[in-house]
Amino acid sequence: MSLHDERSFFDAFDAALAGDDLALVPWLTPPAPGLAVYRNTIVSAAIDALAATFATIRLMTGEDWFRAAAGEFARAHPPIDPALVNYGADFPGWLASFPPAQDAHYLAGAARLDWLWWQSWSAADASLLDPAALSTLPAEGLASITLGLHPTLHLASFEASIPSLWLAHQSPLRGEAHQLADAPEQILFVRTGPHVQSHLVDPATFAFLESLQRREAVLAAAECALAADPECSLPHILTGAIALGLFTTINLIPDTPR
Amino acid sequence: MTIAPAAGLGLKPQHYAEAISDTAAGAWFEVHPENYMCEGGPRHAALGAVRDKHPLSLHGVGLSLAGDEAPDEAHLAQLRYLVDRYEPFLVSEHLAWSRRGGVYRSDLLPFPRTSSALIRIARHIDRTQEALGRRILIENPSLYLSLHGHDYGELEFLVDLCRRTGCGLLLDVNNVYVSASNLGYSAEAYIDAVSASLVGEIHLAGHAPDPTLGAGLLIDTHGAPIDETVWRLFRRLVGRIGPRPTLIERDDNIPTYTHLAAERDAAASILVYTHEAALVSA
Repeated sequence: MSLHDERSFFDAFDAALAGDDLALVPWLTPPAPGLAVYRNTIVSAAIDALAATFATIRLMTGEDWFRAAAGEFARAHPPIDPALVNYGADFPGWLASFPPAQDAHYLAGAARLDWLWWQSWSAADASLLDPAALSTLPAEGLASITLGLHPTLHLASFEASIPSLWLAHQSPLRGEAHQLADAPEQILFVRTGPHVQSHLVDPATFAFLESLQRREAVLAAAECALAADPECSLPHILTGAIALGLFTTINLIPDTPR
Repeated sequence: MTIAPAAGLGLKPQHYAEAISDTAAGAWFEVHPENYMCEGGPRHAALGAVRDKHPLSLHGVGLSLAGDEAPDEAHLAQLRYLVDRYEPFLVSEHLAWSRRGGVYRSDLLPFPRTSSALIRIARHIDRTQEALGRRILIENPSLYLSLHGHDYGELEFLVDLCRRTGCGLLLDVNNVYVSASNLGYSAEAYIDAVSASLVGEIHLAGHAPDPTLGAGLLIDTHGAPIDETVWRLFRRLVGRIGPRPTLIERDDNIPTYTHLAAERDAAASILVYTHEAALVSA
């Protein structure tokens, strides 16, 4: 290996970061304690980024458990981008199959909620649709128009009451009194100002919003809501969504029969 | 009259409100653009409010200019967006690498300063300045390893990069001290050799001895007040080259804003003093 072989140097440095103390030998005479400085900084920066995003998981597991788990994740799935503010999308899925997390099967779900909260917090800002515009919609157009949803809106659905458990951990009591139940729950996150709001929603509202997220027409979204709950009230769903500021635009769907 | 940026502070999220209402003469702030590479939200709102009141500098950590891969075009585009949005008075990066093969190593890694590295890094700086439509400053990193295979000294290498690309120097005085101490050369000689015309910004920060090795290995922690040795080197530098925008960096063990502002004001008085001394002797 030549000292002037650039590519070999970078390959060797990566091997050294991965733990091979002798990988850099042409360029570095061991022992080189400075290598540990780089190794530590790289892992702890990734752990710190995850700790900022997955604040509820830190509360649930305690700081030591969290940092150990985050360190294992960071070694297996290092950041791909210097914008660490966006790091951690794979952490919830990884937790689901992380053996030490198996006793607390709700952790992966709660991590998913932390991630969605963070996505809502950092998503693009947008101005809200004037509710008056909705009242001018012609009934016969509902099959060909859709409502643009706020870019900060995120939805999640669970088979158990993980959203309630997560919400309880946002209070000063830190969810200590919450019992996990096998009841399906749906939650939404939205941010129309400085603060992310999190709300449990009923199945019909959830189905309505999910349909709009797929850019389906208002009529199709209403059918989805009714399929989820035949007793639901569409005006009630719309008023609730307007009150939360979920709509930003009215859009014509191209190529639909009118 | 607009007062030129004098001494500034690294902006921390816990200090947004105090930064916005700070009225110190010449106060300015610096952020890592990577922390603002999201689409919206409170972080951008706060940075916009700080920028409405104060000059801002963008100090990148992720371009990997010394790497064997060209700077990432998507990253450059995001940086350009932030430059256009916040109109910083300075944009800087490091003489280091971090990104390779689709993995980002969140540190500022060293490399052999060879002739081919010089050509490669000059190309990366050219591309960056072209993408941003402006000049950047390059910072000397903290070094922890005595690598073999260097064709150039660090300062010589930086000066050559400036000459080839038109970029300037961000001289981190703490990094000069940490590297000189770790690698066994004279920090004073380094400081005395810096060409005044190339320095566009100065950084000051705290360091700490390695927890196991002690003073034999100094770590650039940004987690402590600025050391007296570093203040001395700073006075020596600006006494010779004159005042430059000077930043207090603190990223760990973050104290109150008042505490950081006091360090900032101490740097500001040294800058004023050296400026007045230069006027008297002129």
